[in-house]
Amino acid sequence: MESLFLLIPIAGIFVVIAVIIFIWAVKGDQFDDLNREGERILFDDDETDTKK
Amino acid sequence: MNKLCFHCGDPIPTDLHIHSQLQNETREFCCYGCQAIAEHICGADLALYYERREMDLAKRATSDSSAIFDLLKDPSLYNEYVFQESNLHSIQLSISGITCSACAWLIEKHLANQVGVVSISVNVSESLASLTWDSNETDIHILAQAFQTIGYSAQPHRHGEQDLVQKNERKKAIIRLGIAGVGMMQVMMSAIAMYAGDLQGMEDAYRHLLRWISFLFATPVVIYAGLPFYKGAIRDIKTRHFTMDLPVSLGVLLSYGSSVLAFYTESGHVYFDSATMFIFFLLLGRFLETLARSNQNSQQTKHSLEPVKVIRDGIETTVPTQKLAVGDIAIINPGQTIPVDGTLLSELTNVDESSLTGEYSPVEKNKGDALHAQTVNVDQKIQLRVKQVGQNTQAATISRITERALSEKPRVAIIADTVAHYFVLAVLLTATITYGFWTVMGEAEAYWIMVSVLVVTCPCALSLATPVALTAMTNTLKRHGLLITRGHVIESLAQTKQIVFDKTGTLTQGKFSIINQKNFSNEHSADVILSIMSGLEQNSQHPIAQAFRPIQPAAVLEIQNITSLGVSGFFNGKEFFFGNLALMTKIGLQQDAALHVENGKLALFLACEQQLISVIYLSDVLRPEAESVLRTLRKNGIRLSLLTGDTRSSALSTLPVSWFDDYETDCLPDQKWQWLKQQGQTEVLMVGDGLNDVPALAGATTSLAMGASSDLAKLHSDAVLLNNHLRTIPEAIEGAKQCRRIIKQNLCWAAGYNATLLPLAVAGLIPPWVAAIGMALSSLIVVLNASRLNTL
Repeated sequence: MESLFLLIPIAGIFVVIAVIIFIWAVKGDQFDDLNREGERILFDDDETDTKK
Repeated sequence: MNKLCFHCGDPIPTDLHIHSQLQNETREFCCYGCQAIAEHICGADLALYYERREMDLAKRATSDSSAIFDLLKDPSLYNEYVFQESNLHSIQLSISGITCSACAWLIEKHLANQVGVVSISVNVSESLASLTWDSNETDIHILAQAFQTIGYSAQPHRHGEQDLVQKNERKKAIIRLGIAGVGMMQVMMSAIAMYAGDLQGMEDAYRHLLRWISFLFATPVVIYAGLPFYKGAIRDIKTRHFTMDLPVSLGVLLSYGSSVLAFYTESGHVYFDSATMFIFFLLLGRFLETLARSNQNSQQTKHSLEPVKVIRDGIETTVPTQKLAVGDIAIINPGQTIPVDGTLLSELTNVDESSLTGEYSPVEKNKGDALHAQTVNVDQKIQLRVKQVGQNTQAATISRITERALSEKPRVAIIADTVAHYFVLAVLLTATITYGFWTVMGEAEAYWIMVSVLVVTCPCALSLATPVALTAMTNTLKRHGLLITRGHVIESLAQTKQIVFDKTGTLTQGKFSIINQKNFSNEHSADVILSIMSGLEQNSQHPIAQAFRPIQPAAVLEIQNITSLGVSGFFNGKEFFFGNLALMTKIGLQQDAALHVENGKLALFLACEQQLISVIYLSDVLRPEAESVLRTLRKNGIRLSLLTGDTRSSALSTLPVSWFDDYETDCLPDQKWQWLKQQGQTEVLMVGDGLNDVPALAGATTSLAMGASSDLAKLHSDAVLLNNHLRTIPEAIEGAKQCRRIIKQNLCWAAGYNATLLPLAVAGLIPPWVAAIGMALSSLIVVLNASRLNTL
């Protein structure tokens, strides 16, 4: 159980990294258009299909 | 049979056969423009667009609008709108016709295939595209044409300062939400471990580790993510008008503060989990609420470039509207909106002033008459001398009246705020008395008992009660076709006692429709006569011509406009005249024609070879659902009023007075607002559409604009009827009442829960973990109850 003293802080560091990436993404306009991004993947998939 | 156009979804006129073989199927179209676009899209291997779009309609192919880009030939304007970095040029374009992600996909794919395009990205929510190209290989005019070929029109766009501020606010809100969400998850995990530890025992070293972790993650959530609530609370204290922000801040800060104290002294109980969860849910609710509304607002604050032709020093040039100066001579084409106030220099034209007056028949203007900004030039290419620009135009004056009306708008009492007011006082009083009492009794734990009181009374459920219900209802109404753009609408709709309707464009369709037809000729059938009329009107910009659009036009040649009278043209080698009584007088048929004039309707005559062939009656007709909707509303005890800018006789010819409790005709925009104020009612709903309704819309407690309204009307109303269907109004009122019931239930439950546990907490009988679990449960019940509104 002593490993918790090491593992939980490490997990904490990962969370901090994740939040920093998130803030970077928001500042880079990636969350500007919430209507659009969710559907983008659908379109790109089909498009490669039609080219085959 | 009523077939619909494959591209735009408009009905295809009978006898019209435009079709193409696309995707191995025969597709039919309403016009050659749509056909060209669809062929282009399918030819470029982009047919997926038709499968993926949400609505089966695109914008109908319109005339060439890329003339706007000619403005960019002026280097100073080019530099203003185009960002240049060596040979890479980029521009923001506002695109009309974008309805869903499929449009964005289509535009991106198509533009990316053009020579010289470096990057293109389309934002659906804002209808904006950013385009970067290599200036050595292509230019903006060619690219603008590329938008045109797939059926969208683009305009250069620049962000206003307001937009940038809003965008930044939105980014901050997303970051806050993200931090609160992630932080809450970490704190919750530790909290569950600690609850388990409470039940089955846990070594102090581990408990302390978990407390450290909770403290570290809760701190940024409370300090940064909760900031909007504290700002609201400070504002509340300054204005002495309490909203929910105050109890929320109080709850968060006290539970956080006492947890920090407990953490530091290694005693008592930590409530980091409650504080973070609370912040996260409230932020989420607020974010969804703004998201539901933001679409509309971003549409309204566009700063686009509009071109207008002027004659300066004898040379015709194109300048943007903003650069027009008093004294300029501007040239306005038929169908174009007049951008400024001015005096007519040409002989004669007709102007559609419906945006200012609500009167849908065009007004005749002679040389020297005043023309107003925001009205539409109907049938002649005219020259006008600019008299007023920008802030001084008559349309701008209406905006100013509107601002005044807005500042005097009566407010409805929002239940939650009323509750908040008393709640804050009660909680503070109880907590102080409890602390005082136990201290006097010499109880060492007095402070912790007070904290327990505050946590029990923590207004989680209470402050969630209203926003979750409102968010659910806003989404439901949007699905039914009503877009709410201001926060108070749902509560004030539920209390509506009087509804004031505008006539033209609101109760009626705001355009001419054919009512009936009398034929005097045996030579032509009724259908042929209609198609001749349609053929004569096919090139006209006049509102009357719109009535004939659904009819397949006959092949009429050499069509000529006879200003203010009508049109003439040749069909099968014979000359036909189509126009009003004055035209008949001119060709000597006055006596025959005069017999058929009817009051309140517009009569148009078709004549050939000195013989009257047909008379057709046009009028603005009521929306089909109007009568039953008005009856329903009246049956529900709502007072109905009619407020119109039309003349008395014109108003009464389409609408029976008996449908209304009172009515007022010949109203100017300012009078409409004054009339509303005189009513002295606070629970008034105003429904309107035109620029002339704007002050009244802004001044009414609640206002609703039709979906086809002018932009200014939408901007100043509290809700927009997207589907243009009046039936939605009684539905929305019913829904709002249901929503209000749910809010009341939620408030009762939350307050009841707090009231029951309060005495126990005051007596020091509630262990902290029971308080925390109870709090979470009561919030959950409130959320579930509100979700019932989603199924309405």
